[in-house]
Amino acid sequence: MSEVATPTQHAALAARVSDACRSAGMVGAPYPGAVAALDTLGYPTTRQERWRYTRVTRLLDVSPTAAAPHTAPPAVVSGLDALRFTFVAGQFVGGDTLDEGANGCFVGPVSVALARYPERLEAWSHSDFATKEWFAALQAAAPQDGVCILVPAGHKLERPVLAHHHMPAGVHVAQPRHLIHIGDNASAEAVLWSDTTAQSEGMMNAAITAAIGDGAHLSLEVVQDEPGTVHHMGHHHFTQGSNSKLTVRTATACAHWLRNDLHILQDGTHADSTFHGCYLPNGQQFVDHHTRIDHAHPDGQSDELYKGLAADKSTAVFNGKIMVHKDAQRIEAYQRNSNLLLGEQAAMYAKPELEIYADDVRCSHGCTTGQFDKEALFYLRSRGMTETAANNLLVQAFLAEVLDGFRPEIRDYVHSVYARRLGWS
Amino acid sequence: MLKIDNLHARIGDTEILKGLSLELGAGEVHAIMGPNGSGKSTLASILAGRDDYEVTEGSITFDGVDLLELDATERAVAGIFLAFQYPVEIPGVSNINFLRTALNSIREQREEAPLSGKDFLAKVKACAQLVELDGKLRDRSVNEGFSGGEKKRNEVFQMAMLEPKLAVLDETDSGLDIDALRIVAHGVNSMRGADRSFLVITHYQRLLDHIVPDFVHVLAGGRIVHSGGKELALELEEKGYDWIVDAQPTEQA
Ligand SMILES: Nc1ncnc2c1ncn2[C@@H]1O[C@H](COP(=O)(O)OP(=O)(O)OP(=O)(O)O)[C@@H](O)[C@H]1O
Ligand SMILES: [Mg+2]
Repeated sequence: MSEVATPTQHAALAARVSDACRSAGMVGAPYPGAVAALDTLGYPTTRQERWRYTRVTRLLDVSPTAAAPHTAPPAVVSGLDALRFTFVAGQFVGGDTLDEGANGCFVGPVSVALARYPERLEAWSHSDFATKEWFAALQAAAPQDGVCILVPAGHKLERPVLAHHHMPAGVHVAQPRHLIHIGDNASAEAVLWSDTTAQSEGMMNAAITAAIGDGAHLSLEVVQDEPGTVHHMGHHHFTQGSNSKLTVRTATACAHWLRNDLHILQDGTHADSTFHGCYLPNGQQFVDHHTRIDHAHPDGQSDELYKGLAADKSTAVFNGKIMVHKDAQRIEAYQRNSNLLLGEQAAMYAKPELEIYADDVRCSHGCTTGQFDKEALFYLRSRGMTETAANNLLVQAFLAEVLDGFRPEIRDYVHSVYARRLGWS
Repeated sequence: MLKIDNLHARIGDTEILKGLSLELGAGEVHAIMGPNGSGKSTLASILAGRDDYEVTEGSITFDGVDLLELDATERAVAGIFLAFQYPVEIPGVSNINFLRTALNSIREQREEAPLSGKDFLAKVKACAQLVELDGKLRDRSVNEGFSGGEKKRNEVFQMAMLEPKLAVLDETDSGLDIDALRIVAHGVNSMRGADRSFLVITHYQRLLDHIVPDFVHVLAGGRIVHSGGKELALELEEKGYDWIVDAQPTEQA
């Protein structure tokens, strides 16, 4: 069944969201191309392959109420030593900006970065998404505050950054924008955490834009922990220079309805990209991870691994596109996606997409969807484990490949959310 | 300690056990032999609580408790252990983590305090020694990539760790080389005691040279059709099953 929004419906949504963001506070000006794109692109429909399983008509009803109170939420993974910044519904609420001057590191809110160093953001801070995807255009048309990490060439950011974006209770929209620039041969580690209360509704339409210079290194952990009924759209865009290394791990710990678009462009030779993710929808939840990597230059590598479970009546979608451009020779690209279905009414739509225009390429992909291993469950129970303990152990084992890549504090936290949500703890 | 009375069980429309009766006293070792497909593993699975089988008639009592009322976990807590004919591979779960979780899960359900890390490791060491289990296997994923013999040894290792009251060994000897057979038998023998019973399913009299049973039973066509002392195993080895099975009254349609 396909659903199509009438032009007035989505124009009205765009107006409501933009108004709400503007009155709550935007950072910077709307991106001009984005405003125009909102008109020309048209609202996504399930007739389009990229949106086939993702019913965005349900977002047309989002009608935000007045701006949220800006009280800081409790700290997440409090044991983790990090440069911490907190945002509530697209507004900066706390954190100590690190500012080493025009030629040094900057870590702080985008709003402050724009005020102090607009020229450092100009060239790279909008991704392709802003003119190619309707929701990304909406985000770029009324961007709000997020973290800005600027590491100049040759620098190493010593402490990890933890940016925590929180959606308070009530019907709200937030369009945070996180900007990361890692100069040549520089490096940084960051955690981007988004959460909500159980009473949060509305929409979270967030962008992460990162540019990673030649020989630079970025390690990013993205955690999405959103009880409540917020609709989450994520636009995560990475551009890598030659010999750069990117690791991005995404854990969807909890989401009512979530669509993530992750795009990596290898814009130089010998780039190395690792992108892993995990998800575990239950109840009626919907989680959709769309990824795309563009190998645009020779000698690049990529390692993609997404694993997830769909329980009850939930739906999970994985779509992984690997694009190897003409002349991008000697690429090694690996993709694996494994899924488990934990209920007869759970659905999983998994699709690898490979487009290869170079001839000397090593590319492999594997995609599996299976059931929970009943034999293993019986074996564990026959050794005295409760069903809960046995399920937990099996899920932990299944997700370990992905979760073990996170910091231990985050790994344990995400696993505990999964266990609690499935009633296994 | 275990009393099986007139047990009938089926899976789907296939009736597998057809009136099986068997009694085991505390501290006794019983061997069950019988042709392929006669229902030996089915009996073992039902004892351990696999719920694929439907018990249509009969009863099983264990230490006075109606076993059929307990689920697989509760049976393990009650002291039943099954060494699987085909141990399951569980990628991603280390043998050691698996055992710690199992042991502490049982202790918790018995309202006992969890074992300290130190006591646990000491126990692992002692039990691994008992069956000469390679240290590397303890840290690997449960049974993953283990050879057939290693899997069987791992089963006996787990049995030693969990100290059951009733251990059901389903063809634990098959796939073992001669040395391993001796080692495994030694492990079992050293666990024999007044409070622990064994039900040893095997095709080979050879095992029973090492683990000397108090009784030997023949399971055929879903029932115990003949019982005897340890010398019955020798006789079966020599004569096969036909002389017993053929002597059975034919089934009523
Ligand atoms: N899950 C099942 N589905 C269908 N039939 C089954 C199932 N499990 C067992 N059976 C059948 O029940 C019968 C008894 O099987 P069982 O495994 O108990 O035999 P066994 O005595 O252990 O044989 P073996 O000596 O070969 O191990 C066989 O005919 C088998 O095919
Ligand atoms: Mg068998």
